[in-house]
Amino acid sequence: MKDLFRGELVRLTSEEPELRAKHEVRWQRDTEFHRLADSDPAELTSEKKLKEWFDKNAEGGFKPERHAFSIHALDDDKLIGFLVLWVNLIYGEVWVGIGIGERDYWGKGYGTDAMKLGVQFAFMELGVQRVSLGLHEYNARALKSYEKVGFKFEGRTRWDVLREGKRTDTLWMGVLRDEWLQMQQGEPQ
Amino acid sequence: MRDIYKGTLVQLSAVDPDEFSKAFTNWRRDSEFMRLMDSGPVRLGSQKDTQNWIEKDLDDPGPHQHSFTIRTLAENKLLGDIGLYVVNWSGRDAFVGLGIGDRDFWGRGYGTDVMNLILRYAFMEINLRRVTLTVFEYNPRAIRSYEKAGFRHEGRMRKALHRDGKHYDELFMGILREEWLKLEQ
Repeated sequence: MKDLFRGELVRLTSEEPELRAKHEVRWQRDTEFHRLADSDPAELTSEKKLKEWFDKNAEGGFKPERHAFSIHALDDDKLIGFLVLWVNLIYGEVWVGIGIGERDYWGKGYGTDAMKLGVQFAFMELGVQRVSLGLHEYNARALKSYEKVGFKFEGRTRWDVLREGKRTDTLWMGVLRDEWLQMQQGEPQ
Repeated sequence: MRDIYKGTLVQLSAVDPDEFSKAFTNWRRDSEFMRLMDSGPVRLGSQKDTQNWIEKDLDDPGPHQHSFTIRTLAENKLLGDIGLYVVNWSGRDAFVGLGIGDRDFWGRGYGTDVMNLILRYAFMEINLRRVTLTVFEYNPRAIRSYEKAGFRHEGRMRKALHRDGKHYDELFMGILREEWLKLEQ
């Protein structure tokens, strides 16, 4: 059987609160990253507070509603980002969030590869019927990456985010299990 | 739309820890009831014990656990309880546990009626793929009732139970979504 946690460029590991906080404290200083990955205003948080926050998320051990991963580049095993799946168990749907905090790994397919693993995990292991995500309309690189994985544009919330005096939209994308399975067989969509 | 909490004899209601623990404290003094309900040695317990575990049980059940009390439609009388416990979300499988504590309502179709309700809830509301239960070899009334509701025999743990110096099997039964849908037509 194939290794579900290993792609072409990255592998997924379990999120370790301490390690995650150590990276996050550095990533959050990069305001461009923040604005791509998050919809809240930028804020700085101490490493201690961040660790508490990640600890709290991990509290009580494994929960089937939430699968939190760290993304490592395969070539140097460097921790470069995060991937989280939130599962609506009853409806069989996953919301996914991803961020590549290390700029050196932007635009080179690492995020796409990690997202492929996330979607594969959702469909092949969790057995859900759809995967959903949201992104900022100004994040063209992400849009392209998600399309490569198989996500389709489904709609937008107009003007919900205000950045530097400009109103901007949130875009919604989704991929259905059957579409994704068809893609895996290389059939035309 | 159909009222998914109402059957022909019974309805499902929310578990009130106070009310239920009082009733269950009485029911559990009936050792036959407890032997049909539970595989371990029969134990008595105070109302406080019962209330504690019920409150703990109901605290933040999330999507994994769906518990109800059972009432008659005719008089709104509390008869027992039923719960679904999802054990595997990717398989979408849940265990169902059912107890009719009030003996007056044994063998009259009340259990079968509530099982039909919970199966509908499991398949149409929680979107499960299968429902599993275990029942004891010495409880033919329950076995018959589950068969009527559509459960099939799937296996047995041989001599897993001890009662009065004898050993009995614990039976596994299950029903699949598509089987239930067929029965519904």
